Amino acid sequence: MSTTTADARPTRKSTGTNVLVGVLVVIALLWTLVPLVWMLAGSFKNSSDVTASSPVWFFEPTLDNYTSLFSGPNNLTPYLWHSLVAAGCAAIFSLVLGTLAGYGLANSTMRNKHHLSFWIISTRMAPIAAVILPLFLMFRLAGLIDTLPGLILAYMTFNLPFAIWLMSAFFSDIPPSIEESALVAGCSRWQAFWHVVLPLSKAGLVTTGVLCLVFAWNDYAFATVFAGPSSQTLPIAASQLVTQTGIDWGQLTAIGTIVVLPMILAGLAVRRWLVTGLTLGAVTGE
Amino acid sequence: MTTATNRRVTAPTQPPGPEKQKKKRLTFTGGLMAPGVAVLALLSILPFIALVVMSFSTVQLLGGVRLSWAGLDNWSRALADPDMWSSWLKTIIFLGATLGLEMVLGIGLALLLHRVTRGRGLLLSLILLPMFVAPVIVGLLGRYLTDSTFGLYAWLLNQMGWEGDILGGTTSAFVAVVLMDVWEWTPLVALITLAGLSSVNPSTMEAASLDGAGYWRSLQHIVFPSISGILLVALLIRAMDAVRYYDIIFVTTNGGPADATKIIPIRLFENAFRFFDLGYAATIGLMMLVLTILIAQGFVRVLARKD
Repeated sequence: MSTTTADARPTRKSTGTNVLVGVLVVIALLWTLVPLVWMLAGSFKNSSDVTASSPVWFFEPTLDNYTSLFSGPNNLTPYLWHSLVAAGCAAIFSLVLGTLAGYGLANSTMRNKHHLSFWIISTRMAPIAAVILPLFLMFRLAGLIDTLPGLILAYMTFNLPFAIWLMSAFFSDIPPSIEESALVAGCSRWQAFWHVVLPLSKAGLVTTGVLCLVFAWNDYAFATVFAGPSSQTLPIAASQLVTQTGIDWGQLTAIGTIVVLPMILAGLAVRRWLVTGLTLGAVTGE
Repeated sequence: MTTATNRRVTAPTQPPGPEKQKKKRLTFTGGLMAPGVAVLALLSILPFIALVVMSFSTVQLLGGVRLSWAGLDNWSRALADPDMWSSWLKTIIFLGATLGLEMVLGIGLALLLHRVTRGRGLLLSLILLPMFVAPVIVGLLGRYLTDSTFGLYAWLLNQMGWEGDILGGTTSAFVAVVLMDVWEWTPLVALITLAGLSSVNPSTMEAASLDGAGYWRSLQHIVFPSISGILLVALLIRAMDAVRYYDIIFVTTNGGPADATKIIPIRLFENAFRFFDLGYAATIGLMMLVLTILIAQGFVRVLARKD
């Protein structure tokens, strides 16, 4: 009975509200997408169109910006490689250590567990500027400045606690009865974890891995301090195009597109679990 | 009641197994945690100690890193430094403006998306895109859009009669960096709120409307009370990250013009890596750390309440 009235409701409710909803959705979409579309368009414009004083809406697309980025002495390939290695390794190491520790944390019966959890989350939330300072001294002493291992370690300062906390949240959602029945069936604790619990946590593993990758790939603050000529990443390459003499906006929008596009694809691939991931397991969606 | 008596009955008949198993469980979970926790300790406790030591020292970099004891010099200087306090004030205004706008717009966006039935998945995916953009690219893109000679948004404002250099004026620069942060992170608040809205029992919402309660009143009395915990999570998550990231300001105004956007992490960075006054910077860093630890405490408390 109530459902039929509910179904009738939208049609009875004046089309006025529907129009209002439509208009607001369009405004939200424009606000969100125009900068991204403008960046993408800029990357295919020639140098006079990209900085034309009145906006150029229609233009003949050119690949010049991309080809010049990947040719010449100062080309983007090493930057791309550094970004891939630093972000990839930081994500993988964090995921492996975080999965083990997260499972331990979720099932631990230790008494002061909440202190341990609190330490882990405050490490994740520590302001980057405050972390960079002591790491800068430590890295200088250890000779890790301008090395990829240094960058990987720097990224693990935020990715490792994130992975531990989030994997622990995902593992807590798996009913303990599943693990118990595996133990009853004769599995060891490790076998129960490896063969039963882990395959059930694929979504959690992928989400955690992807978000770790996004955080590290998108980093700029750490790289400005720790990266040098032999370890510079893509975001640094982008900011280096900003010089005193002027900015090549065609190339800059092209680098922007290269930095942003893979992360958008990766992020949308785990959209279903994004809420859980980005709230560190505090909210579960859908 | 019944379970309690049951347990009391069965307890004596059970072999001393559980106790043994519990001990084994402890070592197993402990063993799993050990490597991760050890690495994390190395990456967080050591730097923390170093940061505290630095805040009581004068740090010299030339000719090898050297620390010399400075007592409370950095701290007394920091507490008496009007520039630092004005940076804190700007930080608080920046946090208030970004978090306020992101919460209001994010909740509004979520309510809007909640009403859309057809194509909501695609719509949500499009709305979420800014979240994945590296903050440094958000900043550079912001510069591109607001450039006074060829920026699209500068041109639009010009058509509407507003003239001037957006990132060149103190107020407009501050508004611009706030809006860049809002552009990037409002979708996150919307996403979290939407998850909360989907968990509200639709029949309670329906009953409210049938009772004759208006849309706003049903929001106020039914929807918001039932998602207040989730909204608090969204606020705290955003608050923690807003203190963490400073990339956008770093590449747009770098604190200028005339210190208008010099929020506290920018001042820290400037002291550390332009003036190479690392001891003083460490003092500012510890103050920031206190702020985030307070926010994290709130976050953990909200979580505990949920359980």
